[in-house]
Amino acid sequence: MFLRMIRGAFSRQIKKMLMIALTIALGASLATAMLNVMLDVGDKVNQELKTYGANIIVVPKSTSVLNNLYEVEDGSATAGSYLKESELGKIKTIFWAFNIVDYAPFIEAQVTLPDGSGAVMTGSWFNHHMELPTGETLDTGIQNLRTWWDITAGDWINEQRDASENEIMVGEALAKRLGITAGDTLALSSGHADKTLSVVGVFSAGGDEDEEIFAPLGIAQEFAGAEGFCSSIEVSALTTPDNELAEKAARLGPGSLSVSQYETWYCTAYVSSICFQIQEVITDSVASPVRQVAESEGSILEKTELLMVLITILSLIGSALGITNLVTASVMERSNEIGLLKAIGATDGRISALILSEIMITGIVGAVIGYFAGIGFAQIIGRTVFQSSIEMKLLVIPVVAVLVLAVTLAGSIPAIRMLLRLRPAEVLHGR
Amino acid sequence: MSLLELNNISKIYGDLKALDNVSLKVDTGEWVAIMGPSGSGKSTLMNIIGCMDKPTSGEVILDGKDIAKESAKNLTAIRRDKIGLIFQQFHLVNYLTAVENVMVSQYYHSIPDEKEALEALARVGLAERARHLPSQLSGGEQQRVCIARALINYPEIVLADEPTGNLDEANENIVLDIFKQLHREGTTLIVVTHDPEVGEVAQRTITLEHGKILRDAKNPGFE
Ligand SMILES: Nc1ncnc2c1ncn2[C@@H]1O[C@H](COP(=O)(O)OP(=O)(O)OP(=O)(O)O)[C@@H](O)[C@H]1O
Ligand SMILES: [Mg+2]
Repeated sequence: MFLRMIRGAFSRQIKKMLMIALTIALGASLATAMLNVMLDVGDKVNQELKTYGANIIVVPKSTSVLNNLYEVEDGSATAGSYLKESELGKIKTIFWAFNIVDYAPFIEAQVTLPDGSGAVMTGSWFNHHMELPTGETLDTGIQNLRTWWDITAGDWINEQRDASENEIMVGEALAKRLGITAGDTLALSSGHADKTLSVVGVFSAGGDEDEEIFAPLGIAQEFAGAEGFCSSIEVSALTTPDNELAEKAARLGPGSLSVSQYETWYCTAYVSSICFQIQEVITDSVASPVRQVAESEGSILEKTELLMVLITILSLIGSALGITNLVTASVMERSNEIGLLKAIGATDGRISALILSEIMITGIVGAVIGYFAGIGFAQIIGRTVFQSSIEMKLLVIPVVAVLVLAVTLAGSIPAIRMLLRLRPAEVLHGR
Repeated sequence: MSLLELNNISKIYGDLKALDNVSLKVDTGEWVAIMGPSGSGKSTLMNIIGCMDKPTSGEVILDGKDIAKESAKNLTAIRRDKIGLIFQQFHLVNYLTAVENVMVSQYYHSIPDEKEALEALARVGLAERARHLPSQLSGGEQQRVCIARALINYPEIVLADEPTGNLDEANENIVLDIFKQLHREGTTLIVVTHDPEVGEVAQRTITLEHGKILRDAKNPGFE
């Protein structure tokens, strides 16, 4: 009989029940989306922040000292002090190798243009393919580290093509000055080399780099007369926000830590411990955090998560209010029926159970619809905001179920209270 | 001993005395009509007898027990076990079929029994229409479903507030015939009505005015 009554109630008020289910679905979908995104977002936000550039820069010890003492510009007083290209692979062997997302070496060469004026040629990796000692492979380079570059003509240099050895990319300002674009060739010379190279792409970087020529590492090394060397390495690493321990290590050096503190510090992905580990593998190098970015990564992540928690809470409150309205209206509309049931002997408990069962069934339907819609939302958020898909976590299902239950129950409280107060004599005799 | 005994019942709303010191007795098997002008307190009286309301003062003794002081929860149980209610507006559950409407009453009383519910509908001449929704039934048919529902748990008293108020002549007669049948079977009936014809067929007529009993007389025309 209970089932018959519930079935009857549903068939009769299917529209109203659908409205309630949709309200619940809306809340549930937002909760699902936000929770999924949040659980998956650590990596996503970090990968997104990484696009602001590297957060660690590695330079030769001599350059570092000179730069720090005299604030000398790169490339002038530092000629002759280089890092070894052959050691680059070791960066992916440090303790926190897994957290190194991208990195690329840089070398600068002063070149002479056909019109006799000078320009800076920067050599680097574009989409460099590496076979790591661990057996893994890594594709890295400035295509990942300069995501803000806008390719205005042509394309990125593809190192995987043989022809790439003679290819260059030219900054937009320089290209305009020389009147060249993708597909043209450019004859360049320096004290060490003299070559005609083909321009495959023109980029807009929105800074000094717009005046530069970017070339594969090998070409720039030839022009600089420094085969097998680079002058700096930019590293993008996922880091843990600094705490007191990390600050102490950064300020006084790892030597100031006790053995156990050192262990903890070394085995935590602080930017300072990653820098320290890079220095261990690259001879005569100094790795230092690019401060602002490294610090903000952790805190932006926390803020983003906080924002999502707030959105989730607000959306749940929103649907609780919606449910309150709809359920109360539906109970009010059915006050005759409820009064009658009371008059023929139904106790408050049994009527509440009937109404709550109806709402709960509606809630479950809404939650299921909402869950699947939420998975869709999560993917949309992933695609539009983080440019990648969001991995679904099973943990979200029970959490959403509990949230929907709580919200639906909370939303039904006023209706249930009204139902309990309702006196049959007042509704049954036409008053 | 009377089945129902009211002693000095008053019901006061603010400074309005809906019932003013009413006393009356109803014996088992009696058929009583309660009449009187609008606002005279008929429904108020029925609500008190039907355990849906409590008097401001006085005693309501049903089956030897004073129910005026019972808790709301006990009143629900008494109503369920002893009272059958028939309303002017029928008050059927609109998403349940005729037979299901009867079964609801069984469900809250004990356990639903579809066969018995169908027999109850057959008794009021609705065997053919048991699977229809209230919206598919005429007013008279709906009222008969309401009567079947009121009778299904063998109540000690059947209370009807304006049972024919929404019915035409023909349906009114059908309902009155059912009441006559119930009376012959020994059911105690209390019927509130405006309609002298409905009042006359009862065994006894009580007339209320301004919350007081104006007249209480056996009907000469009865049977
Ligand atoms: N809940 C209430 N609050 C205030 N006054 C009420 C309430 N219920 C009834 N009354 C008043 O009590 C008086 C008696 O009402 P009651 O419903 O018993 O009249 P009635 O005889 O059934 O009238 P009718 O024939 O129109 O149904 C009326 O004046 C009514 O306004
Ligand atoms: Mg009335």
